[in-house]
Amino acid sequence: MMRGWQLEPRRDVQPGVLLVVPVLSVLAALVVGAVFLSAIGLAPVAVYREILRVSYTTGYGIADTLVAASALILTGLAAGIAFRFKLYNIGGEGQLYVGAIAAAGAALWLGEGASPALAIAVVIVAGAAGGMIWVAIPALARAYLNTSEIITSLLLNYVALSLLQYLIFGANTPWRDPNSPTFPRGAPIPAEAVFPRWATTRVHLGLVVAVVAAVLIAVVISRTRWGFHWRIFGDSPEAARYAGISSRQVIVVVLLLSGALAGLAGAGEVAGRAGRLDPNGLVLNLGYNGIIVAALARYNPLAVIPVGVLLGGILNAGPALQSLPGQNVPVAISTTLTGAILIFALAGELFVRYRPTRRPDAPPSDGDPVSVGTGDEGGRA
Amino acid sequence: MTDPDPSPSAPPALEAVGITKVFPGVVANDAVDLTLHRGEVHALLGENGAGKSTLASVLTGLYRPDGGELRRDGQPLTLRSPRDGLERGIGIVHQHFRLVQRFTVAENIALGDGRLPWRWRRSVVADAVRKLSERYHLPVDPGAVVGDLSVGEQQRIEIVKALYRGADVLLLDEPTAVLTPQEADALFATVRAMAADGKAIVFISHKLREVMAVSDRVTVMRDGAVVGSLHAANTDPAELAELMVGRQVDLSARKARGEAGRAVLSLRGVDLDAVDGRGGLHGIDLEVRAGEILGVAGVAGNGQRELAETVAGLRAPTRGSIHVHHRDVTGTGPAATRVAGIGYVPEDRLGTGLAPGLSVADNLRLTSKQPLWLDRRGATETATATITEFDVRTTGPGAAVRTMSGGNAQKVLLARELDTRDGAVTALIVAAPTRGLDVGATEFVRDLLHQRRSEGCGILLISEDLDEVQALSDRIVVLSEGRIVLERDADGVDVTELGLAMLGHDPDGPAEGGTS
Repeated sequence: MMRGWQLEPRRDVQPGVLLVVPVLSVLAALVVGAVFLSAIGLAPVAVYREILRVSYTTGYGIADTLVAASALILTGLAAGIAFRFKLYNIGGEGQLYVGAIAAAGAALWLGEGASPALAIAVVIVAGAAGGMIWVAIPALARAYLNTSEIITSLLLNYVALSLLQYLIFGANTPWRDPNSPTFPRGAPIPAEAVFPRWATTRVHLGLVVAVVAAVLIAVVISRTRWGFHWRIFGDSPEAARYAGISSRQVIVVVLLLSGALAGLAGAGEVAGRAGRLDPNGLVLNLGYNGIIVAALARYNPLAVIPVGVLLGGILNAGPALQSLPGQNVPVAISTTLTGAILIFALAGELFVRYRPTRRPDAPPSDGDPVSVGTGDEGGRA
Repeated sequence: MTDPDPSPSAPPALEAVGITKVFPGVVANDAVDLTLHRGEVHALLGENGAGKSTLASVLTGLYRPDGGELRRDGQPLTLRSPRDGLERGIGIVHQHFRLVQRFTVAENIALGDGRLPWRWRRSVVADAVRKLSERYHLPVDPGAVVGDLSVGEQQRIEIVKALYRGADVLLLDEPTAVLTPQEADALFATVRAMAADGKAIVFISHKLREVMAVSDRVTVMRDGAVVGSLHAANTDPAELAELMVGRQVDLSARKARGEAGRAVLSLRGVDLDAVDGRGGLHGIDLEVRAGEILGVAGVAGNGQRELAETVAGLRAPTRGSIHVHHRDVTGTGPAATRVAGIGYVPEDRLGTGLAPGLSVADNLRLTSKQPLWLDRRGATETATATITEFDVRTTGPGAAVRTMSGGNAQKVLLARELDTRDGAVTALIVAAPTRGLDVGATEFVRDLLHQRRSEGCGILLISEDLDEVQALSDRIVVLSEGRIVLERDADGVDVTELGLAMLGHDPDGPAEGGTS
């Protein structure tokens, strides 16, 4: 540990700190990634330069980054809105699957011949509804039985995964492509229901949906009575009770919104990217990575947008790096980086709340523990 | 100021020389000197925020001073942690106890004692505890579970714990804040006994009466600096008060009471079922009239919080009815009760009455019905006006309440709950309104309550601090185990009688064994 340093609680957090901490988190993660890269005999700087080049400078790369970002922004919002009000929905992954299932099901049920506007609207609503249904279980259990939503929403991810696999691999369901009996895959959704794309790229309507959702959420939180009640609840449930705000209502509404956002991401993956319910293309940890996006954005809906783009690029670079000629970069490098980013972003929270100060008179001595004030006076065990 | 040197020949047990401690933006201790002699009770007197607690934290090793030094028996001393302090015989009993509720007394006392082997024997600790408790008149049962004990008993455990660990310099931080008068008297006897046994005792308080009663010497702090160090025998409360505040103050007189009018709040036969055997109310009959303050005294945990929350509509009574201005509000919930004219200042300001992470502007509209589209400009204007009117020290309407001092946070809470401008609020429930506030803020709160009273509000004052209840109330009732056991006019009330009632002795029935 650092000798001669101690942490003191910050009374007021300057905006600069809020920006510096996430940036430092990313840099620290890059350093850790560099250690791993060096260990397997690669030049970190070259790899990082390649990530930058692949994801953020080539037209094709930017488009792919934005495609990934449209899902990550939505799952980031899903995690962000829940976590910000101390409701820990870890089930974005499962809600995304169920949203995708509902969106594909609605598109297939609607069939061909509907007007594109109607079909797309139906797909979007179905995706949101699917996510809401899946989060409703943890939400109601938390609101009425005080069951930890962390556990229930997490476990339901595995149920959703099984459901997804069953629908495509398990049986002859309407989601399965009847024209591919030996190689099970999702049935293509009607062309009317496919999200429009921008020019010749793969960037689709989902990005617009994500950005609009982020702005709407930001406005609702800061400008409306609903958001006011959520903020009171998130800050102090006891104060919310005192103010006559129904905690149950806040818990259910916020979690349903969170699930709806994750479900929207699923709808985007079906109608924007794959054009079918494609389990292999869906199980990419987009829901879990949404938690990283949210944490790095410090649960601020507008900050989720740039962070989603950043993380989308890093995640996309993985496969691209693998195909780099002459070098053998493991695909796992992007997972390593995102994992490290999450760890440093969460650890960085410590420095948002506390400031390191030099101990004035501390002689560097043996076994001197760093004392962390807890806001209260420290306890004597 | 006078600085008499008592100068017994032995070096002081603990000495602080020029201690300076700086926090960002605040000099909490500015070149503070404090000399603690064995066999002396040394009172540390000052308003909240004067730097007493910071000094105590420096003396016990929680904080390191930015300047100055500590001397133990004349030798320089550097403390790295509270544990380090305790190992050098410097202990503290905090205002909020550090006890594990589910552990027994002996287990709590053994906790963290590095001298014990890993398989410690309960009987060894229990014997030591018994010896200490006899020696200093501190009755504690080593086998009792802490959670079952009263506040006074828990405090005794904290003292025994410090003594058991070998403390011969003992700091008591606001030790009487939660005690009944009888318990406080017992504590004073213990403090004297410890001093007579050669220990150095620091008695931290802002209550002049107690300081005069128990201490040999008094050091008064204001704004982080020592403003006087005197012999208790050579001073009087008026001088101490003036030193403490820096001007003359008058906290004694209850302002002349107005004519009590008709009932604005009445409870009839209110029962509340206990949860887990705690916090029930039984047959509460109360009437608060316009223009009076009705004080509810009692030891913590005897149903005060439940009573306040039931009246405020946060809990529905099992039986009985609650009327505000003849309107039945029983079980209508907090919003409807508020509309009927109830304002509620809860004891827990930050966290219940206020959302600490939200801004002043947001907190001022916490309990009022908001339009779907928030009026941000209106909220800012209201907040700016309130900040000016109530002289709230803050950086602006957007500042989080968490960053403000206790007194300023309380002003925000009072500004909201005591807002009678639209004539809506007619009855107020006010719990421990001045707890933890400095003298200036206390004066402000009391004046505000008196002003509302003279405007015709009926005020239900609930507090564990008997001094506060006595200073403010026109009538006093005592709440014990969820029942009203005594009702008296505040003028000429017998403190002993109140204290006994608080301890559960039924004044009209046969005397029953309490926890004295």
